[in-house]
Formats: sequence, structure tokens, C-alpha cells
Amino acid sequence: MNHISYNSNIIDLARRQFFGQAAGGIGAVAFATLLNPQIASADKAKKTPGILEKTHFPQRAKRVISLFMHGGPSQVELFDYKPLLKKLQGTELPDSVRGTQRLTGMTSNQKSFPISAPGQFTFKQHGQSGSWMSDLMPNLAKVADDICIIKSLNTEAINHDPAVTLLQTGHQQPGRPSIGAWTSYGIGTENADLPAFTVLISQGSAARPADPLYTRLWGTGFLPSNYQGVNFRSSGDPVLYLSNPPGIDSSTRRRMLDGLSRLNQKGYESFGDPEINTRIAQFEMAYRMQSSVPELTDLSGETDQTFKMYGEESRKPGTFAANCLLARRLAERGTRFIQLYHRGWDQHYNLPSDIRLQAQDVDRACAGLISDLKQRGLLDETLIVWGGEFGRTVYSQGKLTATDYGRDHHGRCFTMWLAGGGIKPGISYGVTDDFSYNIAEKPVHVHDLNATILRCLGIDHKRLTFKFQGREFRLTDVHGVVVKDILT
Amino acid sequence: MTVDVPVSLSRLPKEAPKNRLGLARWLVGRTHPLTARVIVNRYWQHCFGTGLVKTAEDFGTQGEWPSHPDLLDWLAVEFMESGWDVKHFHRLIVTSATYRQTAKLSPTGMTRLLAIDPENRLLAHGPRFRLDAEVVRDNALTISGLLAEQIGGISVKPYQPEGIWKAISYDSNLTYQQDRGSGLYRRSIYTFWKRQSPPPGMLAFDAPTRETCTVRRPRTNTPLQALTLMNDTTYIEAARVLAQRMMTEPKQTTPQARIQFAFRLAIARLPKPGEAKILLDLFQKQLKEFKKNKQAAARLIEVGESKRNQSLDVIELATWTTIASVILSMDETVTK
Repeated sequence: MNHISYNSNIIDLARRQFFGQAAGGIGAVAFATLLNPQIASADKAKKTPGILEKTHFPQRAKRVISLFMHGGPSQVELFDYKPLLKKLQGTELPDSVRGTQRLTGMTSNQKSFPISAPGQFTFKQHGQSGSWMSDLMPNLAKVADDICIIKSLNTEAINHDPAVTLLQTGHQQPGRPSIGAWTSYGIGTENADLPAFTVLISQGSAARPADPLYTRLWGTGFLPSNYQGVNFRSSGDPVLYLSNPPGIDSSTRRRMLDGLSRLNQKGYESFGDPEINTRIAQFEMAYRMQSSVPELTDLSGETDQTFKMYGEESRKPGTFAANCLLARRLAERGTRFIQLYHRGWDQHYNLPSDIRLQAQDVDRACAGLISDLKQRGLLDETLIVWGGEFGRTVYSQGKLTATDYGRDHHGRCFTMWLAGGGIKPGISYGVTDDFSYNIAEKPVHVHDLNATILRCLGIDHKRLTFKFQGREFRLTDVHGVVVKDILT
Repeated sequence: MTVDVPVSLSRLPKEAPKNRLGLARWLVGRTHPLTARVIVNRYWQHCFGTGLVKTAEDFGTQGEWPSHPDLLDWLAVEFMESGWDVKHFHRLIVTSATYRQTAKLSPTGMTRLLAIDPENRLLAHGPRFRLDAEVVRDNALTISGLLAEQIGGISVKPYQPEGIWKAISYDSNLTYQQDRGSGLYRRSIYTFWKRQSPPPGMLAFDAPTRETCTVRRPRTNTPLQALTLMNDTTYIEAARVLAQRMMTEPKQTTPQARIQFAFRLAIARLPKPGEAKILLDLFQKQLKEFKKNKQAAARLIEVGESKRNQSLDVIELATWTTIASVILSMDETVTK
């Protein structure tokens, strides 16, 4: 078959269609986005542009790697050092601190709210920046000067589902596009042979059961579904339905697709519907994905040195460490938004033992990812975001003993860190009170965080919108202020 | 506060009680400006792919102006005067000259119409759009003859790749228990819907997640759709079962007759000589390949849980399965 003549047809029609309905809605957008890979490949660049012709600001980060710590890691044990707590161990959290806070049903009936210091963990300052971290993150501590720690994140949500949904879609109720979908809608991708928005999930080592995730977290809401995140799985097909059925090898598939393309081309000649050419192009991209995805997920070419950097766990598919290594490979190949979820951070009880396990899962891999991107010259153009949907209470949930305690959800303050493209390295931003309970200085709401992430990508969060049910929607809804102090 | 309706629309009928019954009467009252217009617009969207008001979910100030305002009003009045007769209304549309136009564009149409009216809002030719997610699957089941026509009953769990629920469920302890037998072949409206993790083959084709009401679906065209049609067990099994039909049902047993039979089942027309030749060439090439590799042929026809017709030659059945798979994946097959 003659690919070239198809492509020239497609290019021709794409231009006509695109210009013919430049102000068009979903159809025009989806059409242009889906066809442009063909135009691009004719130009030997495999980009898929987004809805924005050019970014609103210079692009400091070309892509995002979001390391989502699902369940809500405790800022009290990890980053937010509060020396006063040791003295107050076991005493009641003053009412003046707790105020009128809405508690979850898990502790609202508790009669006592004893302060629990993170006594089993030692905090130290690290690097030239002197950032505080506990001994739960010994490897991350070594790259302290590469990261920016925000201690004043806050959210209104107090339970996992609404909190994660708020952080990732800008709204507590389901139905809005996720940040990865917004990003690929806005600025497309640099590699049309791979999905623009990729999701990698790992199970935590904590003993407590992990909270559920939801497909909608990488969904598109009201955006067309071609912007949805594609979950790369660690067992079975990495992308659903990627493998040919038993008995169909690659050459048979090629033969079938050649026949199909020729039939569809006849259909096009008869109907003149440009969607037919798009479909031909999509089958071709599916075929390319059948080789590009396995090549991507095959880690056999990585050196021992690299595995050592991410930790030996990175040899085991499906671990957080392996996913971090995959994230680097995706970043190298131009994927726009790489979303990792590491489950199991919901330490309502047995916090000391479970947080150790969780921290071990991620500490070396995070540090490895930063170092690896840096040595490959990719850190400057890749934004890494680490954190969960909320923090944990300084008071103990359940019984506080000499060795054990738990912590409930806490949205008033929590810690995240960012690194790479557009972010000032080696700083801490925002201050909480002596109890790590309320924000004392420079609050950063989750909308502010999202506005800042988009800004690093060159996007004005107020100007990336989609009209749905009578109004323009955006990721930050009607909120969000870019945290300029942390930008380079 | 008193009970009433927005005065900007129309008044409650005088005799209407100020309760839900009154509200219902007001909604379908002759003076209500929206109800009939909104519903006929949705039926129009259903048939033509796009409503006369494109923003079918929004008739307010932020919605789009109708492409044919007089037609919309006429249809709304006709619908009310027919006694809100849905069947009458659909008959009216599908027997209209506008609906019955061909979707084919002449060479002039391709260059001129696409430039003037790329979305065909002026309806210079017939509608042509991809089937909805549920219908893509139901269509393949119907063509192959696998469809279980039972009406009603509890939801069913058709094929789904392993591990999808487990990866995200609480404590990873929830696995998908796939049905056996007819549960695999029911219409997609009976498919069990877990909002936390909806069926991926449906999401690929723009089925809404069912978390919010959706009046109008986007209609994308993506590589994931291609992969689903190429490799999902649902479609490979449908291809194998269609191949069995091709080998047993037509009176003539020539390859040509079999291709014609399947083509007609799939898209309700016979193949043109050029189309038949493409499939015939593919059949002959693939037959050679499978003759060299009988094991591959045997593996292909084991896909799916429905019983295989053991009397059919393994190599031939596998070869026809590839042909049927191509026919089921054709743009015209998944397009209305």
C-alpha cells in the first residue's frame, strides 16, 4: 500500500478541516489533534500539538512527573520538624490550636487528643540549604539541594477520595478533567507514538490495607477521551489490548492492517469523510505502539549502575522504584505527563512501623530519579512533584503508647516537594505553627500548586479553558495563585 | 418564600396544584418554551449525530444558537401535537428526505462542501458518525450471531483483561469475576458498571464514566480504539464466530461467496469488486501462512469461550477469522 499518498491526503484534509472550523468545538479540536501526528511525522518531528498554538509563558518544564503518595503521608514524621513536640509528648493538643476544625468520623468521637511527637525518628538539616528531613529519607536528604520543600500546602477536603479528586481535578466532586488531561489538551505531546499522559501504579509495603484509587483520577471529565491517561500495567499487557491475540504474529498483523487500510481507503474514496483517514492513521499508530511500548517497558538495557541508583527493587516490575525508572524512560521519550501513584500512606494506626516501610519504598527511588534525570540533562526540563492528598494530625488517633500511635487525616497543612524545571532548588517555602497543625506563613492551597505546575509548563491556568454546560471550566476553577517565590 | 416556577419561562397552569404534579404539568404544558424543543433536539442528535442546537445540554444564553430555528420549532410543535408520540417522531425523521440522503460526497463535494460546511450542519449530505461505545460492541456481537437477546435481569460481566480492579481496589482484594456463557454476549447496557473502574473497552469509545449526567458525548478517534478492535477477546471471538458462519451458512462455498456474506452482515451491502479482491488476496496470503504454521492457526481459533465448530478445518477457520476481524474493524462497520 502507498502510505505516502494517504498521508498527503490526510495532511491536505487536516489543513482544510482545521482552518474551516478554527473556532469549532470538540470535533475540530479532536480532529486537529489526532491528525496532526501525521502532519508532524511528515515533517519528521513526532509531536502532537495541543489546543494552545504556543504557550502563554516561556516553558520552564516540558513535562511533569507526579509522584503521588496516595493515602496522605505524615508531614510530622518526614519533613515538618517541630522540636516543641518532644516536650509536649502525651499532653492534650490545646483547643486553641485545633479550633473549630472539622474532624473525620474516625477521630471526631475521640475524647482525648494527645500530642504524639515523632520520637522514633531523628531530624537533621541537610545540604547547603539546610533543609530539615528525618532519617526516614536518608537518600532524598543527599539531594536536598535539588528540591524545594513546601510545608504550607492545604486543602479543604478531609477524606481521601474528595481530597485526591480536588488535588488532581480542581474539584472535590468527580466529573472534571485531571491535571494530566488538561496538560495534554493544552500542549499535546512530544512523542505521538506514545500516550501523552501515562499512569503507573505501585502498591505500598505498609501492613494496613491501601485505600482505593479511581480511574477517573486520570480521566478526562468533559474533555474528549483522547486526552485520558493510559495506565501502564506491570503485568499482562502494559497497555490494555496491546498484544495481538494468540496465533497472530507481527507480520500477520501487518498484513491484516494493510488490507484494512486499503478497504478504509476505498471507503474514503467513496464517502469523502476525513474521519476515515483519521481512523487509518489511528490503526497505524496502534501498530507503532505495539513496538514502541514494549521497547519502552523493557528495562533489560539499563545498567547495573542505574538499577543501583534507583534501588534493587527497581528490577522488579510494578514497584515504585521500577516505575520511577520507567518514568525516566518516558521522560526521555517525550511523554508529557507521567503520573505515578504509590499507595499505602494512610497510617491511622501502626504509624511508626508502616511509615518506615512506605519511606523505604520511595526514598532511594526518588533520589535516584532526581540524580538520573540530572546526569542526563533532563532535570532542568522536567518538573517532579512529590506528595499526597493531605497530611496527618499531630495528635494520635487511637491509643498513644511508648512505641505506637496513629494519625488521622489533616488538610490544614501538609508538605510536598518539587524539583526540576522552573523550580528554585534547595529552598523551603511556607511555615506551620509549633504543632504542625496550622499554617503560620505563606499558605499554598492545592489550587495554587496546580496553577504553579501549569505555569512551569508555560501555561496560564486562567487561560487554559474548556466550555462545558454553558461556562468555561479550568483546572483551578475560579481559584489559584501562582507561587512565584519558588519559581526560578 | 413561595412555591412557584421561573416567571421567565411560563406560568404554572391555573388549575395546577403547587406540588410535583403541578410542576410536571407545567413542564409538558403547551406554553412551556423548552421541554419539547429540548427533547426533539436530542432525538435529532441521536439520528444525525449533532443536534439542531449543538449544545444539546444547554439551551440557555451560553448555549449555541440553533442551526435551523424554524425547523426546531416546527418539530417541537409536531411532537406535542402528535401527543408526544416518540415512535411517530422517529418515523418522521428517518423517513425524511434529509435523513435518507446518502452520506457519500462527490469529488466536488469533498473539496467544496468540506470547506464550506465541514461539520455538515447544513445537512447537504446524509449523517455519518461513529457508533456509540455500547453499540460498537453490540454490533460485533450481532454480526457474529453471538448476541444473547435476553431482555432484563441482573448486570453481567463480559470479558475484561485481568487485574484491572485489583490494581486500584481497597486493599487490592477485589477481582473481577468474569461471567461464563450468555453473560458474555448480552447487550452492553447490561454490562456491570463499576464507577471506580468502568469497562475499559467502553471508555475507549467515549462512553461517559457515569459520574455526571452526560447529554452529549465527545466522539474521538484514537489508537486505543484501534487496539480494542484488533485485540480485545470480545472482537477476536466475534471474528471467529463470524468466520464459522461464513464457512457454514452461504449456499455457495466459494471464497467470494463467503466474503459477500460477511460483508453484507456487517454493513448491509455487497462488496465492490475492488473490496472483495483486497479480502480475497488477504485470504490467500494468510492461508499460505497458516498452512506453514498450523499451531498459530490452532491458537487463534481457541480465543473466546463460545464453543468452536469442531467440524471445520483449523487452518481455514483461522484464516477466515483474520478476514472477519478485518471486516469487523472496518471504518464502515463501526460507523452509522
